[in-house]
Amino acid sequence: MTVASQVKQTLASLKGARGTLRVYSTQARDDETRSVFTDALEETNIIIEDLGKRLQTLEFEEPQYKGN
Amino acid sequence: MQESAQILLKSISLFFLVWAAIRLMGKRNMSQMTPFNFVSYIVIGIVTSLISLNLINLIYGFIALLVWVAFSIALDYLSIKSKVMHELINGKEAVLIKHGKIMEENLMSVRMTGEDLLAQLRSKNAFNMADVEFAVMETNGTINPYLKSDKKPITPHDLGIKVAPQAEPQTVVLDGNMLEEPLASLGLNPQWLSTEFDKMGVSLENVFLGQVDSSGDLYVDLFDDGVELPQPKVKEMLYATLEKSQADLATFALQTEDTNAKAMYSKNSQRLEDLLNKLRPYLLH
Repeated sequence: MTVASQVKQTLASLKGARGTLRVYSTQARDDETRSVFTDALEETNIIIEDLGKRLQTLEFEEPQYKGN
Repeated sequence: MQESAQILLKSISLFFLVWAAIRLMGKRNMSQMTPFNFVSYIVIGIVTSLISLNLINLIYGFIALLVWVAFSIALDYLSIKSKVMHELINGKEAVLIKHGKIMEENLMSVRMTGEDLLAQLRSKNAFNMADVEFAVMETNGTINPYLKSDKKPITPHDLGIKVAPQAEPQTVVLDGNMLEEPLASLGLNPQWLSTEFDKMGVSLENVFLGQVDSSGDLYVDLFDDGVELPQPKVKEMLYATLEKSQADLATFALQTEDTNAKAMYSKNSQRLEDLLNKLRPYLLH
């Protein structure tokens, strides 16, 4: 497994986690709980963005593995 | 014949009358009654039975009934409005143990022996006198002990653990019937419920009980206990996913040679770790 595909995997599971966080940030009844989940959602977004950028660079460096 | 008809009529009308009067006298649990409340209930009961059996004059009976009901309500009202009247009517609570020492004079004034006190304390799970810092006898006769601070049950606060605030769960399905009102109070609709059931692969008719907890997860109990349902593990899964991603990022940070990428990976790994610490009380409990 190349580095790019490993990063891709992590990125995918983070995106899945982001989805679940989004569900909880809308369905939580308590204000405090909701704000914790909303904050977590934003943090995860930042990480996903960074990771996405890194993935682009990696795919540029190893174009032969693109799409794996 | 005429007398039995009279008794029937009186009994029926008194039944509803006394029921209304007792409701008017307030919602009070039997165990919370003061001795005097008890006396007035008994008098009302006896007078009612005497009237309904035609043993006393109807008018006399009604006068007695009216006085006992009206005075009970009046005294209750007064004791709510005035602190002095409250103490006069219901009595004052008596401190039986103070600073870990038994107050013998107060014990005497509420007519209790040492054994009675110990028995009452035991019923409140305070078996050891040495553990009790303070105990008070309420006006209705129950004894409430306050334990010494090192003998009190431990709370998350004592341990310095943060726990997620939790509201009461709402029951949304009972006996195979959907309860619309609690569902609406959660801001959810029947479609949401049927989607959740589809996800679990059950239908509404098979569900004996369904509860939604404060984070919006649905717990379900089926009529058929042979069917094993996956209980909600979404939060644990979410935590595990985030934890794994954090470990992945830390690994990438070690593997890469690019200094910029290294910095980015370790920064985000740290960020995720902080996030996990913040989420732990909400996801794992």
